Amino acid sequence: MRLSATDTLHLKEALQNAVVKCSERCLYQSAKWAAELLDSVPDPVLSDLDQKEAVAGLQGYQHPAVSANPDPVEAELEAKELSKYLLAKSFFDCKEFDRCASVFLPDSLLSGLLSTKATDATTPKGKAKASSAPPYEQALPSLSQKSLFLALYAKVISGEKKKNEESEMIMGPQDLGTIKNSHLVVVSRFLERWFAERKAEDSDLPPSQGFLEYLYGMVMVKEKNEDAALDYLLNSVHLFPWNWGAWLELTNLISGVEQLNKITPVLPQNIMSFIFYANTAVNLYQQGQDLAASVNDLLKLFPTSSFILTCRALLNYHSKDLYTAEQNFSNLLALHPHRLDSLDHYSNILYVLNMRPKLAFLAHLCSSIDKFRPESCVVIGNYYSLLSLHEKAVQYFRRALTLDRSCLSAWTLMGHEYVELKNTHAAIESYRRAVDVNRRDYRAWYGLGQTYEVLEMNSYALYYYKKAAGLRPWDGKMWQAVGSCLQKMGKDRDGIKALKRALLADSYYDSTLSSFGSAGPADRMAQMDPEVLLQIASMYDRLGEVEEARAYMELCVAQEDGGATDNADASAVCTSNPGESFVVHGDSPGSDGDAEGGYEGRGGAGQGEGTGVTVATSKARMWLARYAMRTEDYVTANRLATELCQDGVEVEEAKALIREVRSRMELADLTER
Amino acid sequence: MARYLTPAKIGLLALIELYVEETVPNDAIIPVLSFLTSHILDSDLQSTMTTTPGAANRWQRAERSIGLVVSIKDFEDLLLPFPAVDRLPGRRLWDRFLEKLWGIDSLDALQTFFSRQPRVLTRTREELRQMTELGEELPSGILLARNSPLGAFVRKAVLEFTRLQFHHSAELWKAFVKYRQPTVSYWRRRNPQCGRLSFDSVLMESQHEWGSFTDGIAVTAYGGLLMDEEDGALPVSTDDIESLLEFQIDQIQKYGARVPAEIKAKFHAMLRDSHVVPSLSHYLNFSDAWRSGDYPSAFDYLHRYFDYTMQNRDRLFYHYALMNLAIVQSDFGCHKEAMATMLETISTARENKDNTCLNFCLNWFYHFGRAHPDLVQDLEANSMIGSGKEALAFLRAKAKETGMLVLRSSALLSEAKLNMANGESIAGAMEHLVRSSHIIVERNMKSLIGSQLSVTTSLWDRLGISYLSTMTSEVFLRVHAPSACFDDELKMVCRLAGTFAGKGKYNEAFAKLEDGIDKNLLRAAKPNQYWHLYRGLVKLRRDLHHNDLDTAETLLAQLLQIGSEELDPDVVFIIDSLHIEALIRRKDFDAAYEKIERLIAKFRDDHRDLSLRIRLLLAKAHLFDCMGRPERGFSITMRAASLAWRARLLTLLWQAVGALANILNAMGEFTAAVQLVEAVLPRSMESENAFNTGILYSILADARMGQAGKAAKARQAMTTTGETTGAAASLMSNKKIDLFTKAHEALECAFNHFSAAEDLEKQCETLAKRATLMKVLGDHARAEEYAARYMALKRQSSSGEHSSVWSTDTGTP
Repeated sequence: MRLSATDTLHLKEALQNAVVKCSERCLYQSAKWAAELLDSVPDPVLSDLDQKEAVAGLQGYQHPAVSANPDPVEAELEAKELSKYLLAKSFFDCKEFDRCASVFLPDSLLSGLLSTKATDATTPKGKAKASSAPPYEQALPSLSQKSLFLALYAKVISGEKKKNEESEMIMGPQDLGTIKNSHLVVVSRFLERWFAERKAEDSDLPPSQGFLEYLYGMVMVKEKNEDAALDYLLNSVHLFPWNWGAWLELTNLISGVEQLNKITPVLPQNIMSFIFYANTAVNLYQQGQDLAASVNDLLKLFPTSSFILTCRALLNYHSKDLYTAEQNFSNLLALHPHRLDSLDHYSNILYVLNMRPKLAFLAHLCSSIDKFRPESCVVIGNYYSLLSLHEKAVQYFRRALTLDRSCLSAWTLMGHEYVELKNTHAAIESYRRAVDVNRRDYRAWYGLGQTYEVLEMNSYALYYYKKAAGLRPWDGKMWQAVGSCLQKMGKDRDGIKALKRALLADSYYDSTLSSFGSAGPADRMAQMDPEVLLQIASMYDRLGEVEEARAYMELCVAQEDGGATDNADASAVCTSNPGESFVVHGDSPGSDGDAEGGYEGRGGAGQGEGTGVTVATSKARMWLARYAMRTEDYVTANRLATELCQDGVEVEEAKALIREVRSRMELADLTER
Repeated sequence: MARYLTPAKIGLLALIELYVEETVPNDAIIPVLSFLTSHILDSDLQSTMTTTPGAANRWQRAERSIGLVVSIKDFEDLLLPFPAVDRLPGRRLWDRFLEKLWGIDSLDALQTFFSRQPRVLTRTREELRQMTELGEELPSGILLARNSPLGAFVRKAVLEFTRLQFHHSAELWKAFVKYRQPTVSYWRRRNPQCGRLSFDSVLMESQHEWGSFTDGIAVTAYGGLLMDEEDGALPVSTDDIESLLEFQIDQIQKYGARVPAEIKAKFHAMLRDSHVVPSLSHYLNFSDAWRSGDYPSAFDYLHRYFDYTMQNRDRLFYHYALMNLAIVQSDFGCHKEAMATMLETISTARENKDNTCLNFCLNWFYHFGRAHPDLVQDLEANSMIGSGKEALAFLRAKAKETGMLVLRSSALLSEAKLNMANGESIAGAMEHLVRSSHIIVERNMKSLIGSQLSVTTSLWDRLGISYLSTMTSEVFLRVHAPSACFDDELKMVCRLAGTFAGKGKYNEAFAKLEDGIDKNLLRAAKPNQYWHLYRGLVKLRRDLHHNDLDTAETLLAQLLQIGSEELDPDVVFIIDSLHIEALIRRKDFDAAYEKIERLIAKFRDDHRDLSLRIRLLLAKAHLFDCMGRPERGFSITMRAASLAWRARLLTLLWQAVGALANILNAMGEFTAAVQLVEAVLPRSMESENAFNTGILYSILADARMGQAGKAAKARQAMTTTGETTGAAASLMSNKKIDLFTKAHEALECAFNHFSAAEDLEKQCETLAKRATLMKVLGDHARAEEYAARYMALKRQSSSGEHSSVWSTDTGTP
């Protein structure tokens, strides 16, 4: 995908316009986003242009300090209101939101409007306020859309601010998530009427510019009226596609791939929807060649765009390619050393990779840039968490949340820290808040499940694990959790299914690194998790399917040396169970793409190909030894028990076993004689 | 500004680690340990071991702790001379130390460094149990006990690090990088692989990944640190600043010295960039302004200090503020205000039941009352404190009750002084002195030695045993001066100078005043004033003796201008008496008489020290003598003598006896006069006052002459009666010649003493007498010689060449 020079010029112009329009309406983040994107568009190669076009492109273009409105009616209104608009804008910039709103929409006017609408005109309040107005309905003030947007937006923001202030301390007595933005009602009623007027008599009123739709959509999202919000937001992006805020709201509304695919056809066909698609897919934890290709296409257009680079890094992260993701983020950091956005994801990656020095450096960098940004606090919190200083970590996550209550990752990570601190109630609350902020956060769901599992409330846990697994169907960790939960509930059949799914999922990814933060670092590099295998085996054992159990136990033991030597054994096992032939593929050495180091032998360092001796494999070996005893295969039993003694795990029991084996063998010898 | 941790402290931790790892060679162990302790503890082992403590290196500690904070150079100086214990030859201990410091190559490594610090400590029992359970190897080698100074330091450092907020630890890391940077060239020489960005391993490693962007990131993370900004903040912690402040205030309060300008400048450089200025620094400024005599700023700073400290202490400390205020006021001569303030302090302290403060205030108030009797006069009548003596007894009892030893000993000393001033039993005074000395010695209260010894010297002085008092002063200056308050030292030096001047050794006196004192200490306003005053007094005395009355009057005019408010009453008296002497020498007897009368009346009303009153009486008798009517002073002299005898003020007694003999001479009772003077002379010589002894001798000579004259009269009477027997005549003449010779001897002694005191007038007088005597004896040649010398002296005195006088005279027999 490559744009011609002319197209590039047009794109640049559109983006420049977008920056001006967004900042005129005080949509700072959207403006920033557009400006960043604008900066990453490479300069067009002038030789590609026609001479004439070049001259036109370069000279005919001038930067609009104030965007001109093509609509004559609106333009006239805007010109008339210019001084008032400038006043309101400066109030907004000084964070005097109520004052800004009252420049165009004084409180008396608003309440008058709304009371006539909400109740009938005979109520004393409405009468007092709107006595001069026509009894049926007071007309909406005739304002340009720009000014109207600014006023209403200020109203919403002021409400948000008040809401935050009333919630007081994070997780304090007031902070229950029940406090509502009291200005939403006013704004939504106003907008309702405004849009109603448009619809009724669209003939003489100028067409909408898209921003008010965006605002209405946003308000409706806050009121949890999501379907209507979706409509308005779609309208908005059709009318003005360059407002990234609207796209982001859309992203947040979409709960799954199906919905995304459903919505795609109705989107406007332009570069923004392309970016939107990629971003949403990444946020929905999608992966695959197509998505990667489309991100790469975007990168060709905007080679240095921090946003697209972040998308690519997140894509790698979600597909568990942590090293590449780390590289991507590192490059991003080099390109934009002062940019703090999304560095919290980077810190997650560094956390999982256990790169302490680099995480420390990142935290240092963030804190020297701005220590009062939620991202910085999250990075620092992650660093402290890695140092096992959980109290300090909690402190920083709380700080992040104080700065921005909608900071999703901070809620989740704080939940993790509370789990570490054994404060399950706080942990559950944190996770719950995280889920409330964003329903797609599988880590929070998983954390919830985990916490309930700790509290031994398995059916709750199962529900949450299933949610998590639904969000990340290709993450073995989720299925394993579901499986073990089922096992605890005594549903062995379902448990086995879930665990097998986990094995399958693990083999699906190139790397088996877990992305779940609080999981221990052990067993990350396993080809097949011996724990899972042991679990499956023991469930089979409980179900009385001894052969299956034995096969899985052997597979589990085989994991000690990476399954390479015992591969034949394992495949033999698996071929005996044709239904699970995929296990073999998962286990074959060829799939261990990122295996590091060579074969280190049994009981070696453990981080090599094999897992080395773990508790799970020892248990499996013990089971096998006993099984061999039962089946009177004393030689095998003897060998396994001796191995157990060598490994130094459960020595006493193993020795007892050896003694028993010896005596049985002697007995057998005697009887033979 | 950091609370506690600084890069220098990281350096100390690294050094402790080196020591614990036994990499410090044997001969370096003591220097390293004393370096550590001198920076970790307040006490200073190094200086007490190597150098004798003195005023000069009093500030060394401050300088060293500033030096350590500011640069890594101190470590280098310490460690470079020693070889490392192991491995490569030619490596120094400094290399090992740098290895440790450069081993901390990232913020994370700093975290690790701190988290591994507890390894150098002995494990607690619990930890040991856990370790054995886990089958770990028990630690061996040098381990620091948890409560040892080093162990406590390590623990405190680790605790403080855990308490740090993240950005504070990042700040610490940056400061550390900066602190370490000066060693980079040395380190690079030893480790060629060390690159430009080696101060942070993350940057180093990511260099290949980030390429040319690395610098941008480094600058973002480290800010201006990499830009070689010179005026960056020094890495000091509040802890350092506070300990430095406390040290300085301590020095000021203990020794009364001002902070040397150099250290002050360094200290200000440290404080320059910190936003947090500990309120104590206002107190420091206050102390400094106070010492330097800057009255308005002293008040300003004092108020500021108490305003800032009010927030963390409650109103209970109000009276301390008042107390400080009162002391400052009195120091600056606002005695009335000071008294009012102090009375308020006393009542507040009483209200708040703060005994310590109350006792201190009462003690101060007592001394204040002694110094300014006129101010407290109207208070005394109806106050609860009562008269001086009762107040002291009360204080002593209180001090004993509350165990305030300092107060108790100073009350005892005051009582001894009071005893002496009232002319009461010497044994009583001695008893108080001994008791106070017992307390001081037993509790090793070095700060009180000064006042103890000064009371002792004044006791010896009063008893006329001048060599004991000189010795005591010398002992103080040689042994106790470094640990004593500077005021005491200065007073002792001045006293010694006064003794020298009394002996006529003016140059020694000046030398003592010039060289015996640290110039830095004289920067404080009060001591400086005192010092100048004393120089003036010595000079004045010399000028008077030299009969250089014009110069003397110029000086006197200056000295008299200093208001009596700001001075010690004793010094005021000295000035007054010198003034009287000058007046007498000017032959302005009326003025002198008037002045004496006024002073006598005033002192009687104020119940001043007995010795001063006796001195005045003697001065009055002297005045009568000068007017040529010595017999008018008879009753005064008798009173003086009996008072001096009763109070055992022996020096004064000898003077009084001399005056009495003089009167007897005038009345023609020569034999009695001779007996008196001969009895007194040897004791007077003990008191080492040349001028007084000279006067006694000259009185003796007069009496002898009188005796001779009487003998001559008797012969005349005999000759007139006609009994001219040659034998008797010759006997008489023999007796006369004998008396003349004795008179001459006495005159010679008197002359010697006068020339020792460099008193020109008296020298001339004696020479004239000697010349007359010789003439009478018929030895014209010698008479001529004396006359010639007399003329020479007269000329000198008029031309004012004093210096040559005594150098020519020393040769005379």
